[in-house]
Amino acid sequence: MRADYVNLVNTHTVPVRFMYHSPETLEEALRLMREYGGEARVMAGGTDLIVDMKLRRKEPKHIVSLNKIRGIEYIVEEDGGVRIGANTKLRSIEKNSIVRERFEALYEAVRSIASVQVRNMGTLVGNICNASPAADSAPPLLVYDAVVKARSIDGERKIKIRDFFKGPGKTCLKDDEIVTEVFIPYPPGDSASTFFKISRVSMDLAKVNIAILVKLSSNVVEDFRIALGAVAPTPLRIPKAEEYLRHKPLNEENLNIVEKIVSEEIKPITDVRSTEWYRREVSKILVRDALNSTIKKLVRT
Amino acid sequence: MSFYAIGKRTARKDSVAKVTGWEKYASDIYLPNMLHARVLKSPFPHAIVKKIDTSRAEEMGAIVVTFKDVPDKLFCPRLVSTPDATYKDWKVLTDKPKFVGEPIAAVAAETEELAQIALESINVEYELLEPVFDALESMKEGKPRIHDKIMLNDKIIDIENNVACRLELQEGDLEEAFKRSDIIIEREFRTSRGYHNQLEPKVAVVNPEPDGGLTIWCTTQTIHNTRLLISEIFNIPVSKINVKKLALGGGFGSSIQTNIVVPIAVALALKARRPVRLAYTKEEDMHEHSSYQMIFRLKIGVTRDGKLTGGFMENIMDIGAHQIQAYPLLGTCAGWWVSLYKLQAIKYVGVAIYTNKIPSCAYRGYGNPQVTWAVETIMDELAEMLGMDPIEFRLKNYVGERDLFWGQGPTVKSIIKSCGVEEILKKGSELIGWKNRPKPGEQKGRFRRGIGMARGYHTSSAGAPIPSQVIDYSGAILKVNEDGTVDYITGLVDQGGGTLEAHAKIIAEELGLPLKNVNIVAADSQTTIYDVCTHASRGVYAGGGAALNVARQVKEKIFKLASTILNAYPHTLRIRPDEERGQAVIYVEGLPGKEITLGELATLARIKNLGTIAAVDSFRPPACPPHFTGYFVEVLVDTETGIVKPLKVVIGADVGTVINPDLAEGQLHGGFIMGWSRAILEDLKYNEEIGDIECRGFIIDYKMPTAADIPEEIKTFFVETYEPTGPFGAKGLGEGAQNPAIAAISNAIYNATGVRFYELPITPEKLLEKLKEKEGRKLAVEDAVKLT
Ligand SMILES: Cc1cc2nc3c(=O)[nH]c(=O)nc-3n(C[C@H](O)[C@H](O)[C@H](O)COP(=O)(O)OP(=O)(O)OC[C@H]3O[C@@H](n4cnc5c(N)ncnc54)[C@H](O)[C@@H]3O)c2cc1C
Repeated sequence: MRADYVNLVNTHTVPVRFMYHSPETLEEALRLMREYGGEARVMAGGTDLIVDMKLRRKEPKHIVSLNKIRGIEYIVEEDGGVRIGANTKLRSIEKNSIVRERFEALYEAVRSIASVQVRNMGTLVGNICNASPAADSAPPLLVYDAVVKARSIDGERKIKIRDFFKGPGKTCLKDDEIVTEVFIPYPPGDSASTFFKISRVSMDLAKVNIAILVKLSSNVVEDFRIALGAVAPTPLRIPKAEEYLRHKPLNEENLNIVEKIVSEEIKPITDVRSTEWYRREVSKILVRDALNSTIKKLVRT
Repeated sequence: MSFYAIGKRTARKDSVAKVTGWEKYASDIYLPNMLHARVLKSPFPHAIVKKIDTSRAEEMGAIVVTFKDVPDKLFCPRLVSTPDATYKDWKVLTDKPKFVGEPIAAVAAETEELAQIALESINVEYELLEPVFDALESMKEGKPRIHDKIMLNDKIIDIENNVACRLELQEGDLEEAFKRSDIIIEREFRTSRGYHNQLEPKVAVVNPEPDGGLTIWCTTQTIHNTRLLISEIFNIPVSKINVKKLALGGGFGSSIQTNIVVPIAVALALKARRPVRLAYTKEEDMHEHSSYQMIFRLKIGVTRDGKLTGGFMENIMDIGAHQIQAYPLLGTCAGWWVSLYKLQAIKYVGVAIYTNKIPSCAYRGYGNPQVTWAVETIMDELAEMLGMDPIEFRLKNYVGERDLFWGQGPTVKSIIKSCGVEEILKKGSELIGWKNRPKPGEQKGRFRRGIGMARGYHTSSAGAPIPSQVIDYSGAILKVNEDGTVDYITGLVDQGGGTLEAHAKIIAEELGLPLKNVNIVAADSQTTIYDVCTHASRGVYAGGGAALNVARQVKEKIFKLASTILNAYPHTLRIRPDEERGQAVIYVEGLPGKEITLGELATLARIKNLGTIAAVDSFRPPACPPHFTGYFVEVLVDTETGIVKPLKVVIGADVGTVINPDLAEGQLHGGFIMGWSRAILEDLKYNEEIGDIECRGFIIDYKMPTAADIPEEIKTFFVETYEPTGPFGAKGLGEGAQNPAIAAISNAIYNATGVRFYELPITPEKLLEKLKEKEGRKLAVEDAVKLT
């Protein structure tokens, strides 16, 4: 193996030659995507894409920027949920009162991403389209059963978030598709959700992140959803743990079993940020902490 | 002592320029007709360049230099040691790269983008050699030779078993000392390699002059040594090279040596006959320098009543692929060790080992934080074994006032004349609540609190009463302007810590000048006299000493001149600041009316052709007095995640007279944060498969704490001492500000958990593993009890 990146990477510039397209309508953007297909990349905030290009992990020949397209920057309530447009900045999501009140886990996740400066640039859609296993918005979107809307010249497709991630940096999107929005259904009434993240320092990608959603009915778990990130090639729900806990009381014994299931279901690796062993260990405690915190929220309301 | 300017909280002279972005750093220098350069680096950790084809780059119009175009001459980029202690193993560009990132060729073109394209067009064929990444491996028989022949001063020397250099010392009868000991403790410590992460990556802008000379703007802690080195390498007379002094975005030791970008840019500029700008990216910067990894074996004896007897220390240093200052570091590490606590007999073996890693250089503390970590860990352990309070135990043994101090190693000795250790420890322990600290390892439950302390010091400069192997002197020019202000002209570089601000206060104090009347003016190596370098916490003590020295001479001249004009004897004159008039006023005590402002005096001197009042002089610091610090840290350990949080930090310091209180506190804050980072986070781990650092130079994977990660309260205090050899009683601070931090943090973790660490950093991964091991074993014991 040779470290050619010491010569190829130049973060002073974007050491890649590309055409920059800045269409003003979605239709025009879709047409460009059809025309350039695999050679083109959509750019929203660019906080992942430009970094990847500087590091030469991606060398697209065409960039189709969404910046000038009007009408895809919104957070609106509709059809039993909230719709978030592709140009909507993370910072707007974090400041939105519906998100803060009804989607606690998403709110907590977005706030944990990078810094205010980066959140002013970056988008939620970019965060999931980048498909990092550690994407912080992914676990909450997974527990809320969000739906991703993608368009191409041929029309619109609705993709369940569970089917969206295919591997590190890979989604199920076709080369000519653009995600226009994410629809997040309201969580069940009287439920609460929580996001937690363990990282090296406070401004960092996760070693492990987690989102859970709980609904209790007279001390028995009625609904339980759990998703973790940075512990497998994609962010993942843990259906086995969910099924186990449903209709059971939340006691120490059950909690131990849920922790055990989670640590068995994840497939962490050792990388720069942490080790396989550590990720497995702290996943367990994160389950416990996230549950505790969610129960507290339920008791409060 | 009451001062007029010293010790006052004032806005820095350069603050407006800095916060508005107006300040000029090397990377802000753009010259007309300038070319932009890029460096071709080795993608292999150990190889020989068999063939290099630059024709395509040249066809594109780029200027190209390879190892064939630079002087075939070994040099050492750091010129702080005397020639007899200077090991030379560097070339500007090499055909035998010894680490991933070592420069092989360079190109210059009209834009950085074009330079990048030209760079990528160069074809290189390599023959791969086996690399080695571990010091202990590297020194074994039969390992690949990283260097064959290098030079010590002007002698060629052979390198065997990758031992770059070694130093052994012995004093007293160690065997006897150990025999007298009731407890002998022996431990092995392993530090990590760290990256300086100074804000400013290395930059050089070089303008070839018509007379064959050069003007250079670059990232450096020393303009004078830069010009000496460029002269040495390229055989250009020193006087034809002018290095400009600029603002520096931090150094932490990484620009004591002349950075490799400077000679590379010089080679390109000489060939192009045009100005060349070479600016490293952060990623390149991280492939340019790192701290040393040290492996210590430390053995210390103590008697039952808590008196240390003697000690043995082995220090194996992984220095990476080249020497920058390995030899003097072997000496200072011994010095740091023996000057912490009194030992009647010592033996020290220091060995510096080459590996195929990024070359190591000084990093804030120059080995002292590492040594202090090892010694203060052992002191903590010994205190516990003896059943003594760790603070009492330290007070019984520390090296303090009137003791001999080894300062910067065995050739730099002086006597300590000011010391506030006792007061630091007393006040610090009160502020942290030392008496109520938990008993080590006795807490149960998930979250455990721990308090740890450590003390330390650093030298202020490398001065001494007699010459040593370290060059240390400074110099300054001070001239009085016709408006009553003074121009202060010094070659000493302010790394960003506000050193020159301190000099301005020292001058203002001595000359009775309103602070605003001291101008810190632009300077370069042509218009200043020699200053060695801003390192070794010498800026305020040695540089400030030089400023005071010329201020005194100017004052004498002022009095001499004023005496004729006021018709009074020179030795009866006084000088005081008059803020209202914005002037220094020279007056005769008790005789109103017998006075003149400095501006009037200077103007009169001009009209009467009496000359400019000015002084120029060099100054050799007579000692390198230790400035002392004490750290008290309270942490919270989450035993389920291994995450450690700092709850409260108390830092006490004895820096003699405090000249800039805000900046001094800032040094302590920064010292803690850096120490915290080195204790629990930083590690330039190698990935042996690629032969490069695991993070590949990407800062996103070399984490350091931000403001969000530090405790809300860092309490600092300064104890009152007066250093008789320092300017107005001042000593240094920059390095002592950090030195005991790692040790205090690791002692606090021990106090909370009962787990000791002998390897840095103490990451959550490692801590959790140890905790599980420990608690697991405990469970097993309990189970065993149940079974029987
Ligand atoms: C300093 C720093 C810190 C960071 N910290 C975190 C962190 O803590 N947690 C975290 O999760 N992330 C972090 N990130 C990553 C990044 O900021 C987020 O992932 C952000 O949400 C990306 O959004 P963006 O709009 O900038 O995406 P872009 O960079 O514009 O795009 C990202 C990817 O998605 C694709 N894409 C974007 N929009 C669409 C679309 N509408 N349709 C199809 N494909 C699309 C792009 O082609 C690209 O591949 C950090 C980044 C930086 C620079």
